[in-house]
Amino acid sequence: MEKFRSYGASIVAVLLVAISSCNTATEKSNSGYTNTLSFSPGEESKISEALLSLKDSSVVELKAGNYKFDNLSIAQLKHIMLKGEGPDKTILDFSSQTQGGEGIRVTDVTGFNIEDIKLQNAKGDLIKVTKSRDVVFRNVHAVWDKSDSSSGGYALYPVMCKNVLLENCYVQGSSDAGIYVGQTDSAVVRNCKGFRNVAGCEIENTTNAEVYGNEFWGNCAGFLVFDLPTLSKRGGHVKAHDNNIHDNNERNFAKAGSFGTTWGVGNAAPGSGVIILAASDIELYNNQIVNNNSGAILLASGLVTDDSALNKINDNYFPISKNIFIHDNTLQMGDAFPAPALEHHMGKMLVGIEQALNMMDTTRKNKRIPLILYDGISTNIITGGQSANPDSLCIKQTGDNVFVNADMLHIQDQKNWKPNIVIDPFVCK
Amino acid sequence: MKEGRIITVMLCFVLLYTLFAQGCSSTSGEQPKEPANTGFHFKDKLSDYGFFAGDLKQLKPQAALFHYELATPLFTDYAAKDRFILLPKGQAAKYSGAGLPEFPDSTIIIKNFAYINEQHEKVMIETRMLVKDPADHKWKVMDYLWNQEQTDAVKHITGAKIPITLLDDEGNKISTVYQVPNTNDCKRCHVSSGILTPIGPKARNLNFVATGDSENQLQHWASLGGITSLPALTEIAALPNWKDDKHFTLDQRARAYIDVNCAHCHNATGDASNTGLYLEYEQTDESHLGILKEPVSAGGGAGGMNYDIIPGDAQHSIFAYRMNSAEPGTAMPELARTIIHKEGVKLIIDWINHMPKGKK
Repeated sequence: MEKFRSYGASIVAVLLVAISSCNTATEKSNSGYTNTLSFSPGEESKISEALLSLKDSSVVELKAGNYKFDNLSIAQLKHIMLKGEGPDKTILDFSSQTQGGEGIRVTDVTGFNIEDIKLQNAKGDLIKVTKSRDVVFRNVHAVWDKSDSSSGGYALYPVMCKNVLLENCYVQGSSDAGIYVGQTDSAVVRNCKGFRNVAGCEIENTTNAEVYGNEFWGNCAGFLVFDLPTLSKRGGHVKAHDNNIHDNNERNFAKAGSFGTTWGVGNAAPGSGVIILAASDIELYNNQIVNNNSGAILLASGLVTDDSALNKINDNYFPISKNIFIHDNTLQMGDAFPAPALEHHMGKMLVGIEQALNMMDTTRKNKRIPLILYDGISTNIITGGQSANPDSLCIKQTGDNVFVNADMLHIQDQKNWKPNIVIDPFVCK
Repeated sequence: MKEGRIITVMLCFVLLYTLFAQGCSSTSGEQPKEPANTGFHFKDKLSDYGFFAGDLKQLKPQAALFHYELATPLFTDYAAKDRFILLPKGQAAKYSGAGLPEFPDSTIIIKNFAYINEQHEKVMIETRMLVKDPADHKWKVMDYLWNQEQTDAVKHITGAKIPITLLDDEGNKISTVYQVPNTNDCKRCHVSSGILTPIGPKARNLNFVATGDSENQLQHWASLGGITSLPALTEIAALPNWKDDKHFTLDQRARAYIDVNCAHCHNATGDASNTGLYLEYEQTDESHLGILKEPVSAGGGAGGMNYDIIPGDAQHSIFAYRMNSAEPGTAMPELARTIIHKEGVKLIIDWINHMPKGKK
């Protein structure tokens, strides 16, 4: 059964690649642009100047070779493409960045494409695209050679945008999320890969996102869907399917993780497959989530990381997830927590939950922590209600040891703490 | 005495305007293929404008130029700044509340940046210009980079890095690589809701008596005919002078400082609107001001800390940490400085440490 599913997933993935490569082929022509500017390595200062003087409807072609920049920016334009000859050929290095928050900054552009290029080693983020519409990252590699806290936060970073597509991209070494889509409406992340980041990919306060055909592995955490307070918009309506999220067991090297942080990616326990935090209307299906050895899927409310989350409720934030639909994924876990989880504040909590379950029920015979962890914090704490499943969780997964309600609200209060594996109220009806 | 001055002002204005108008027409004359365009064209050199009389480096304003100062200025590597507004002949800015006045088309705002070198000489670096283009009523930016000889400044859009050794406010030597912004950098701070706008000459930041003057600056400008519809001074908001602890509280001074140094990006329509940290002087929401607010996208820039501001604990407040850094990715503001503003950091540390603990 599981084997069949994984074949199914690969067939879908192959199909997707085929379809998307057709798309790429038809869109590859530069003919849609009025102006074509072409540059070679050594012409960095000309390129910087060209980007500042750019006219609407321009394609900037960078020939194969290595380019060194402090930073680049493109602002307030329409219909712009930045294009290399391939991520193994056209390489933009930002290790000499001396100012600003990112290597490339794109602001207020309608119709921005970046394609066939590699960006590397900025002090800040590699590319930030903000307040823009119709944004495409295609076949872009964004990489830090070192995976540690000296690396920038995000590799590919569209934020406050509308209509974003990331496809066939590769991200590595980010000290936060490699692919990070924030405060955006309508985003597709497909056929991308993320390796050795703190998180492979994060969808944050973003609506109408679809994430499929991707592979996230070798990170601390594979894939995150987060909603945070005080931001410009609330997220939700996120679908993630046919992704391969595996072997994410590395240490959390986010700088934020060093100080018992209450926020952000520093909270991701090493060994997490998928984490849903305070985001609603999420569907996770047909994914391979395998060998993420602290938890395949973790569903947490904002209260787990922030005691004052309830005070922050407004039109743009609600800390408790609703309408979570998890079905038909292939879920597996290895034999033990990864070593870095034992050093991490959330990792230790997960270890404690596993131990508690096995102590409470010796028939479990030292099984692993269940594949899906739910923090058990529901809107009952706001309404005072008693409903068993007030927030419409719906889980349809076969197999054994699938689910734990971790009762996180009481985890500091050992007497009243009652983690349990009762899945019935949450099984799809 | 005063009348004489005004007449001189007006005469010079007429002269300057004539020069200016000729400059424009000759520019369009050189490009006959361009369709008739009444729009503004940036000239190649600062001297081409005739803003200043005599030795350009002295920045001795032609009388039409209004020289102004700000109650609380932006910090830029201890740069010495000179600020001027040139209004089109016979026109005035119109008071419009505490914020920016309504400037007429063809207004030019000029800001010169210099540093004080080890010999205590003023060395010119760059002159920035904002022009309200009559063609589309939108503001445009340009930068002029001073030459080695210090005789003129030349149009320069790509930004520059200039190694300098400067003296700070206490006369300490600091070596740095000064960053001249490129024209997109200018837009980052000067954009609000996608529209380029001046930042500095807000009425509340002009509303004070500058050192060495006897008259309130706004009132003086009104008496020159530069600004109209000005109500009584007592009805106009005044931004505190961040250094003046005789007249203003610590909280007022700190809020004035962060208004000028942070809020051009950190507001709901600015470049940092994605962060939820909004620092304009009018802001009252504690969360937006950073008090026990978690950062959003600070990443490593947060230095591993949890909150922008922990009342009473500046040492663990990201706000102070980022101001006290010159590292790209950590340093705030991201632009406009390469060295730490010690006095500004001290003010903010004091401010946070004096907030009552447990405030929220």
